[in-house]
Amino acid sequence: MKCLKNLKDSGDKAFVAYIMAGDGGLDKLRGQVEYLQATGVTATEIGIPFSDPVADGPVIEEAGNRALAEGVTLDKVLLEMKDWDFDLKIPLIVMTYLNPVIRYGAERFAESCREAGVSAVIIPDLPFEHQQLVEPYLKKTGITLIQLVTLTTTENRLEDILEAAEGFVYAVTVTGITGVRDELTQEVKEFMKTVRSKSPVPVYAGFGISRLEHIEMLREDVDGFIVGSAIVKAFHDNKIESIEPLIHAVTQRNPV
Amino acid sequence: MTKVKICGLQELEHVRAASTADAAGFVFAPSRRRISIEQAAALAAELPESVEKIGVFVNAGLDEVLEAVQKVPLSMVQLHGDETDEFIRSIPVKVVQAFSVRDIEDVKKLERSIADFVLVDAPGIDFRGGSGRTFDWSLLGGASIDPERLIVAGGLDAVNVGQAINSLAPYMVDVSSGVETEGNKDADKIKIFIKTVKGDSMQQTTGTVKETGFFGRFGGQFVPETLMKAVKELEATYTEAKDDADFQADYHKYLKEYVGREQPLTYAARLTEAWGGPKVYLKREDLNHTGAHKINNAIGQALLAIRMGKRKIVAETGAGQHGVATATICALLDLECVIFMGEEDIRRQQLNVFRMKLLGAKVESVTKGSATLKDAVNEALRYWVTNVEDTHYLIGSALGPHPFPTMVRDFQSVIGRETREQILDKEGRLPDVILACVGGGSNAIGMFHPFVEDESVRLIGVEAAGEGVDTDRHAATLTKGTEGVLHGAYMKLLQDENGQVQEAHSISAGLDYPGVGPEHVHLEDIGRVEYKAVTDEEALASVIKLSRLEGIIPALESAHAVAEAEKAAAAMGSDEILIICVSGRGDKDMATYAEKLEGLA
Repeated sequence: MKCLKNLKDSGDKAFVAYIMAGDGGLDKLRGQVEYLQATGVTATEIGIPFSDPVADGPVIEEAGNRALAEGVTLDKVLLEMKDWDFDLKIPLIVMTYLNPVIRYGAERFAESCREAGVSAVIIPDLPFEHQQLVEPYLKKTGITLIQLVTLTTTENRLEDILEAAEGFVYAVTVTGITGVRDELTQEVKEFMKTVRSKSPVPVYAGFGISRLEHIEMLREDVDGFIVGSAIVKAFHDNKIESIEPLIHAVTQRNPV
Repeated sequence: MTKVKICGLQELEHVRAASTADAAGFVFAPSRRRISIEQAAALAAELPESVEKIGVFVNAGLDEVLEAVQKVPLSMVQLHGDETDEFIRSIPVKVVQAFSVRDIEDVKKLERSIADFVLVDAPGIDFRGGSGRTFDWSLLGGASIDPERLIVAGGLDAVNVGQAINSLAPYMVDVSSGVETEGNKDADKIKIFIKTVKGDSMQQTTGTVKETGFFGRFGGQFVPETLMKAVKELEATYTEAKDDADFQADYHKYLKEYVGREQPLTYAARLTEAWGGPKVYLKREDLNHTGAHKINNAIGQALLAIRMGKRKIVAETGAGQHGVATATICALLDLECVIFMGEEDIRRQQLNVFRMKLLGAKVESVTKGSATLKDAVNEALRYWVTNVEDTHYLIGSALGPHPFPTMVRDFQSVIGRETREQILDKEGRLPDVILACVGGGSNAIGMFHPFVEDESVRLIGVEAAGEGVDTDRHAATLTKGTEGVLHGAYMKLLQDENGQVQEAHSISAGLDYPGVGPEHVHLEDIGRVEYKAVTDEEALASVIKLSRLEGIIPALESAHAVAEAEKAAAAMGSDEILIICVSGRGDKDMATYAEKLEGLA
């Protein structure tokens, strides 16, 4: 995850691409990650399907349901990643809800993540208060637990959470669930400025980022962007090349 | 700051890991962690002087103890056997006397100890001394022990120690098996445990880590960060309102003038005669305005929403009883109301859907997943995440993130409080058995809570076995579920081996939920409440029985409690008393009854 800090220091912006593991079959995952790496993304977030994804909007929920119907599990995803032998240059981040981790065993989860080459983990329904359930085990295996902050995070909490942040901070751009959106508000811009001024690590904006206008609006106030639903949808519709301008708008200094 | 003792040290590597603890324990009693005095002396030499060296003994001779004190040397002695006060007085260093705490008698023994410190532990299994199982910390709640003399042991680990500290504020916590991997001490776990207790990550009295609302190991606040502010705000508002006489007066006024409380505890003469066992009483929640217990909670939460300045309400509903109660109170108090309901439940409970609409609520059909209660909760949570600044989520059962399980229980406890007074008035004594149905578990926890301390009262929660607990179509979460996190709480769930939550099934829409309130899981865990499961068929048979014998047509949910009561009554004598919570009336289920009981006449 050190490369993210280096990227920030060099003034470049990060693009983190989210994909739902096993949407369309688990055998597709490897090719998707290779494609994203070749397209120039900074890191890939691999979503684990869950039966009750309350932080997600319809696009990711439906992708998760398709993956579940394919029999995809946390265990299978980590085993698949462990087998990869291509030249992986970008960090892999696992995003999963808490229950599959608890069922799998937090200690075993950390160990399997390490074997699978995972650099960081995001658990949207594990609030700062309860991170002891998982964080010590991740730490032991050298994996970062990514902290989330939102527009409703109170000032005291923000300080506490940022103090513990490693890797990058996931700053949620909307009061709501994941999903493609038309507009982001001015309030979001101010929020990103505040978070960035206090954060010891790079700040990436996520939730609802799907258009070039969103990137233009927040570009100067964040260190990177996390794009989920738009990519999941593009992969599902077999139109992933349509997302390339969005990726390049972030990663290339002088996008054409 | 609570001190840390790492106990059962045998190897240098682990002693070094424990050097930042406050105390190290060496076991001289029969145990797999036993070491000799010489070994202990060698290990103790590696520890800083500031770390207390504590020798653990079980009914050893005084000579042996004195030899160890001198040779190690020990700064404290910990006794786990039947040592007398005289023995304790003969020891020249400070003494810790350990007690296995199973019940209130054990707590009394501990209160009489003359030792400098008392250590409480779960009852030993294999040998005297620690067993590594957690005990029910709440047992100590009423004990008159100075926390400055208290050492807590028994199944502690980095995950649960914060809760032990929060609930007991002891002088010291003692860990052994909780810092082991496969039976051996683990240096990393020792360090993590010490850091957890001493580190800044656990700010017990200030900052973000406090009052996270656990019942034993269950509960908590497992919600996305966006909701934390609302959950904390609710927690603060409720804590304040709970002790506010005006708020309570307002709430009770509505219960009396609007809901029609108090509700009778009806003696069921014909049911008593038919079952030929105990005297049977029925707590009549079916007589509440809107037809079930749900309104007790809906009123309380709506008043809280107004107190927080929120005038929009979102709620989920299964059978529609909570939806109707919420829509009703929103009409009364002029609040905006959105209700999420599974498509399958909308089909089963059309009458209630119409009632909600008539009352001015917006009913949103949920077609995802099993299209029942679980999916309605998911959608209500998503709606809440999106509209959290001006909307209160009025959860209908003793579920969800803290403070919901506690708050809903408190609002529903009016059921048990009334019942208690009524039975004392009618019979001059407490009942022998009380039964209530459990979906999420709000009527049951409200009924049970005022009786939990009365050990003579047997409490039975009744889940839905659907087509049978050995089929895959049931909702018997406590009987068949496993531990996990859903909808904000660590509880028990119906889930597969990969942690995917499974669909529940019950003929009763109100019990059709794959989780159960965290307090119920705790009450089961400590053995205070028994949980049984009743099939669709048994419940339907009980609907007929109660209708024809008592002229009371129960809700399908309540009929589960009646069915189990019949089984319990078969083993009871005529001098005993049994109470059933009739949580709601059967009007909403008439379509199901017509279909399933066709040809009944």
